[in-house]
Amino acid sequence: MPDHASTDFHEHETAVRPDDRFDVVRSDDGRWYTVTGLCPTCRATVVFRVAYGVLGPSKRLWGRDPHRPEPLTGSVTVFCQCGYPHAERPPESPDTGCGAFWDVPVSGTGAGQGAAS
Amino acid sequence: MTDLAKKRFAQLGQQLQYDQLSTVRRQAEGWRNGLTGLTGLVGVVFVLKGRESVAGMPGVWRWTTALLLVAAFVLLLAGALCAVRAAHGQLGQGTWLSGERLLAAVLDEVERTQSAVITARRLSIAGLSAIVIAIAVSWLVPVKNAADPAGSGKDGPYVLVVTDRGTECGTLVVGDAGAVTIKQAKAKAESDKEAPQKTTLDDARQWHRIPADDVRSVVPTDGC
Repeated sequence: MPDHASTDFHEHETAVRPDDRFDVVRSDDGRWYTVTGLCPTCRATVVFRVAYGVLGPSKRLWGRDPHRPEPLTGSVTVFCQCGYPHAERPPESPDTGCGAFWDVPVSGTGAGQGAAS
Repeated sequence: MTDLAKKRFAQLGQQLQYDQLSTVRRQAEGWRNGLTGLTGLVGVVFVLKGRESVAGMPGVWRWTTALLLVAAFVLLLAGALCAVRAAHGQLGQGTWLSGERLLAAVLDEVERTQSAVITARRLSIAGLSAIVIAIAVSWLVPVKNAADPAGSGKDGPYVLVVTDRGTECGTLVVGDAGAVTIKQAKAKAESDKEAPQKTTLDDARQWHRIPADDVRSVVPTDGC
């Protein structure tokens, strides 16, 4: 565990260091994104997956390809899921990281690199 | 300032990636129950329907009603199967249970479930519409009534009346101690062909009264 900093668990929105880069990769079928980068707080590599889901009956019309949703735009809120133990983390907490979260911008094309806002 | 709600929704989104299939299944169960209730509602609404069968309806409308009911049955059956498939999945469907394959399979199944619900909804609505149209047809189309003495319906009963002068055949109109009155079938048929709207008036003219003293026998027959 060479790069990991054993910080205390603390839920907070954090700023991202200017030299940090996050890979935002869309899957081949376009149904999920994978965001990979270093946690700004504990410096562990975080892999965060965001899948396309449904909240109700589809509004698509006849014949439209249902398997490739519209590209994700804006940003993805990523939280640390480093998997390391962090002190002060409540046992009932669903977190598996240090508690930090941050935004990663996503380009309209669906893949690329971005620095946190 | 930390906006924890943003993180909570991000956490909820992560959780929904695992839960969305069961969420969609529950949603499909709700739709299935709703569609089933809607189908039962037709029986409640039309409990006061006036006719129990298509007998007596003109041939075109009888066949139209029958086809509509058959189509409704097929549509509702297909809709019910789609709804059950959406709520409980396809039998015998499998996938490799690796992480990547399972995620793809879950997303596929979510989409198939949604499609099945939409199809079930469309089929059920079409089937219910067919039932309603069939019932409306049975309400609105005039029916030939065999018991109608005006002759608007099927002729009969036919009788052979044997008299001193010969045998006469026709539809029995009335028979009493004084006479037997029949409507002669051949004359009626010609009258219907020429002027159907004057059937009642023509019927009265075609009645033939045979005094009881002349009658030797009255025999029922299938036709003249």
